[in-house]
Amino acid sequence: MNSKQKENLISPEFPLRKWHEKLNFLNIVIIIFLFLTLFSGKNLLQENRSADVMAGIDYFIKKFFPPDFSDFNLILESLTETFQIAIVSTFIAVNLSLIISLAASRNISPIWLVQITRMFLNITRTLPSLIWAFLFVIFFGPTPIAGVFALTFYSLGYLGKFFSESFESMDIKVARGLRLIGATPIQAFLYGLWPNVKAQVWSQSLWMLEYNIRSASIIGLVGAGGIGMELNKAMEMASGFQRVTAILICILVIVIILDLLGQAIRRWITQKISPKSISD
Amino acid sequence: MNHLETHKLGLSRNGNWLFRNLDLKIPSGSLVAILGPSGVGKSSLLSCLSGSEIQTEGKIEFHFKNGKVRTTENINPELGIIFQSLRLTEHVTVLENVLYGKIAKYGIKQSIFGFPEQDMKHAYQILKDLGIAHLAHKWTSQTSGGEKQRTAIARTLFQSPKIILADEPVSNLDTYYSGRVMGLLRNLANQEGKIIMTALHDPQLVSRFADFALSLNPEDPEGWNLREVRPKV
Repeated sequence: MNSKQKENLISPEFPLRKWHEKLNFLNIVIIIFLFLTLFSGKNLLQENRSADVMAGIDYFIKKFFPPDFSDFNLILESLTETFQIAIVSTFIAVNLSLIISLAASRNISPIWLVQITRMFLNITRTLPSLIWAFLFVIFFGPTPIAGVFALTFYSLGYLGKFFSESFESMDIKVARGLRLIGATPIQAFLYGLWPNVKAQVWSQSLWMLEYNIRSASIIGLVGAGGIGMELNKAMEMASGFQRVTAILICILVIVIILDLLGQAIRRWITQKISPKSISD
Repeated sequence: MNHLETHKLGLSRNGNWLFRNLDLKIPSGSLVAILGPSGVGKSSLLSCLSGSEIQTEGKIEFHFKNGKVRTTENINPELGIIFQSLRLTEHVTVLENVLYGKIAKYGIKQSIFGFPEQDMKHAYQILKDLGIAHLAHKWTSQTSGGEKQRTAIARTLFQSPKIILADEPVSNLDTYYSGRVMGLLRNLANQEGKIIMTALHDPQLVSRFADFALSLNPEDPEGWNLREVRPKV
C-alpha cells in the first residue's frame, strides 16, 4: 500500500492536500525565529566589547546618588509642561486620526484613497518621536510648540492605524442598513458604527496619551520642551548628575502613576461602554 | 400607497439568472410570502426591492395614491427592512435600536439631546407588544438571538413605513412569537394598507397569514409563480 492509498483510507472522496498545503506556517516562523536568535546572540557576544561592569556600577552609585531635589519647583514646572505637551498633542492627534482613519478603512473608503492614506500613516509611524522633534525644532526653534507638533505627527501614524483597524473589524452592514431606511451618511456613522467602536477608540486614545507622556519627557533632549530639556541641561553640567537622578525619579513616579490610572480607566471603559456579548 | 410594481425584473449573478422576467403588481394591504428552497434568490429579490442590490434588468416602481411614482432610489424612508442578519447596533440599548427606525426624521438635535419623550414611549409600547419591554434598557449585545430578532422587528414597526421587506423575520422565534409577529404584520396590511413582502419557510404561517405566495424556481429563473392564498375581499 503506498502513501497515497493510506491517506485515502479516511474516505475515498476525501480531498488530498498538496505538500505545501500541509505546512504549518506559524510553526515554521517560530523555528526560523529561534535560529535567528541563537545566531544573533552568538555574534553579539563575540564582539568582545565587555567593559568593567562592576567599576561602572561603582561610578554610577558614587556620582548619581543621593538625588538632588534642590530645584524641585523647576522640575515640577517642566513636568507640567511635559504633561501639557502630551495632552495637547494627543487631543489634536485623536481628532485628526478619526478623520484620517475613515479614509484608511477598506470597508468605508475606495481602495486608492486607502492606499494613499496608509502610505502617509506608515511614513509618520516610521520616524521615531525624537526625529520628529528634531525636525520641528529646526522649524519652530527650541519651544514646546515643536514638541506638540512632533508628538502629534508621531501619534497620527499609530492612532490612524489603530482606528482604521477598529473600523475595519466592524460590520459596515449595520450602517448601510440605516442608510437604506433614510439615514444621512453622518447619522449612519453616528448610530450604526460609532457606538460599536467607541470603547476601542477611547481605550486606544488613552494608551496614546500614556505613551505621549513618556515620549514628551524624552523629546526635550533635542530642545522640544518639557522635562527632557532640564534633563539635558543637568547632564551637560559637571555637577549635575545628582539632579539627573532626581529628574529621572520624578519621571518614573509620574509615568507609573499615569500607567496605573490609564489601566484602571480602560478597564472601566471596557466594562461599562462595551460589555461582552453573550453567546446564544 | 397604492401598489408595488415590477416590470421584467431580473437578477443575474456570475452569469446565472436567479430570477428573470418577474412581473408583479402587488396592491396595498397585501402580505406576500416569498417561497423557495435556500439559495433560490429570496433574499436577493428583497435586496433588489430595497435598493441595496441593483437588478440586472427590468424596473421596480412604487405607485402612491396621489399618482406619484417612486423608485428604489427615492423610496426611503417609506421603506422598512427587517434584515436576515438583523443589522442592529450592538453597543447601544434595545430601546435605542428601536428608535433608530425613525432616523430619517431626526436631525442633529436628537443626536445631542436624545430622542423625543413621545417617541420613547411609543417605542417602549412596541417592545411591550413583542414581549421584550423588560430588555428596553439592556445592551443589545447582551440579548439572545430571538430577542434581537424581535428588536429588529420592533424597529421596523416603530418606523411605520408604507412597505415592509422582511427576510425570514421569524426564523429565530418560537411558535408563539412567530404567530404573534406575523399577526402584527397581517394587521398592518389590513388596517393601514401596508405592503409586506416576506421570505418565509413555514408553510403553516404562509397559509395562515399570506394573501399571495410567490414561489421562485431553482431550476428555471423564469418559472416563478404568484398564486393567491386567500382571495382579496
